[in-house]
Amino acid sequence: MVELLAPAGNLPMVEAAVTGGANAIYVGPCGWSRRRDRYELSDDEVLAAVGIAHEGGAKLRVAFNTNMQSHEIAPMLRKMERFVSWGVDGAIMTDIGAIEEVNRHFPNLTIHASIGANILNNEDVRFYRSIGVSQVVADTKLTLKELASRKEEIDVGIEILIHANKCYTYLGKCWMSPYHRLERTTDPFGKDLFKGSPNRGGLDYRVCLESWELYSGEDLWEKSVALKNDAFFLLADIPHLIDLGVHCLKVQGREYPVPLVERMVRFYRALIDAYVASPKGEPFNLLPWQLRLAAIQSERDESRSDGTRLLLAEARQPVPAR
Amino acid sequence: MSPAMNQFELNTTIANLRDLRESDLRDYDGVYLGDIYCRIYEANFLEQLGDLKEGLRILQDQGKRAYVTTYAGPRNDFLPKVRKMLEASATAGAQAVEVHNLGILKIAHDEFPQLPMHIGGFANVYTAPGVEVLRGFGAVRFTPNYELSLDEINEITAACGAPMELLVHGKMPLGISDYCFLLEYEEKWGIKCPDLCQKELFLKQGDWAMKSVGKGILSGKDVCMLEHLPRLLSEGHRHFRIETVSESPAYRSEVASVYRAALERVAAGDGEVDEGWWDTVRRHARIGLCNGFYFGRSGMDYAGIRPDAIGSLLTISRAES
Repeated sequence: MVELLAPAGNLPMVEAAVTGGANAIYVGPCGWSRRRDRYELSDDEVLAAVGIAHEGGAKLRVAFNTNMQSHEIAPMLRKMERFVSWGVDGAIMTDIGAIEEVNRHFPNLTIHASIGANILNNEDVRFYRSIGVSQVVADTKLTLKELASRKEEIDVGIEILIHANKCYTYLGKCWMSPYHRLERTTDPFGKDLFKGSPNRGGLDYRVCLESWELYSGEDLWEKSVALKNDAFFLLADIPHLIDLGVHCLKVQGREYPVPLVERMVRFYRALIDAYVASPKGEPFNLLPWQLRLAAIQSERDESRSDGTRLLLAEARQPVPAR
Repeated sequence: MSPAMNQFELNTTIANLRDLRESDLRDYDGVYLGDIYCRIYEANFLEQLGDLKEGLRILQDQGKRAYVTTYAGPRNDFLPKVRKMLEASATAGAQAVEVHNLGILKIAHDEFPQLPMHIGGFANVYTAPGVEVLRGFGAVRFTPNYELSLDEINEITAACGAPMELLVHGKMPLGISDYCFLLEYEEKWGIKCPDLCQKELFLKQGDWAMKSVGKGILSGKDVCMLEHLPRLLSEGHRHFRIETVSESPAYRSEVASVYRAALERVAAGDGEVDEGWWDTVRRHARIGLCNGFYFGRSGMDYAGIRPDAIGSLLTISRAES
């Protein structure tokens, strides 16, 4: 049975995701995941999240998917040890050195290669399998053909983002945001924070979404160029993905309002269940689902564009001296 | 222990045979052949394997270290060609292949174990344990992720002694895509691929600027570490890259001449920067200069020892924008 994985940027969202029917929930410990700190959880909250998830029959994964610094691996392992003792069901990670260390220290912990690992081809998957990864998040740009080939050739769990954004660049291979603004700070626990760098755990200012002028030398060729960045909702692909045997369908959105995340999770839960229960070989009517998704999509787009406007304004602010 | 200060390597990147033939390489010790962004980049060495062998021969005849780079975003359908390219590189005597993708590293390690591997800037080297993993796959030299500061890079070298290759001048890669937005303008501009990305194109908004090469986004400003070379050498770094894959042959040779002279002077114990050197780098930097992330600040910032050295340039570029 395919797993529905939901985001949680706070404890009410963990509860909403469980109530909505998620099979698994992912959270980010403060300072260690690819989201700004206000959407991450303290250690006490991670402990509470494990309890809420397990009580509701769901798994809880922790995202340690920043590209950390060398000296941060030891404290990361100490934190991971605590979380493992609390019963977390998996770790989502990016840095290959950190992955190998976690696999060595916690061989029974399931390691998921994050979207930030930017795993693009089957040999990439084999590389990550060789260092202890058992599930990989597929890059948002991959085709169904590429996913089918991966499923056919390699013994690996495949996770697909079904409700997210497709950046212009490959995720994990972009530092446009910190090029324009990077603010380094330290949290109360001594963890370095990199505001402006999504790869290093801070927020992404989404500077790619600026309306760019295009110059050739000194000549203005275009007054407004947009670097393609589309929201995508793989509604029509979900039946194919289930038939293909993908392991997990993942919804993103730790930064969205709790009621919106709950609606998103309920929607996908109902869709997956309806498709799985439908007679094999008969056409599945997606039309009513498309109409329901349209309302969610509109609310989600509004929430995201508000966020983008604020982030672009923040990106123009001077960086305070440390 | 690091080699003597005068045992440094200055290298660059060249995408095709035409650019290689037009370039004066006297001040370089090594060259990486290939364009990492796009398979249909004009006569890309990575697709034209006859050209690649010829390019390697030209470099060898000039006594240069002959390297090959590889695609930064290879999908499954790239891999058969990548295998042929690795085979051609091995048989034509490439001294190393640079990889940005861990799948290509695995192929090279499994199928061409005699080829030394250099790790490129898109491979996301952030930690010493990460370097150790890559060493297990045959990697011998590492370009740290461009986001790392010098302190963080030195933390890696202190922990594992791995030789690092640092971008010291040129446009810093900022991102790679599978999609070329320039193709949307072929008809309107009357310029077809592969000529589109040969134009010098900048995305600008206020005082922000990035260079576009279609599927690749680069810094608008040129990273410039000219006045910081004494620090780099004293901290044990010996491999330096001037990134010129999207630059003219004149840029390639004149900037190299500055850095060769500056590095030799530092190695001889004198860190003074000639005014003429500043004139050269200013002349070639259309938007301005920056230090990338080497000092822990936003990548477009410049932390000069002598801020006046680039002051006029910044004033001009801000006024223009």
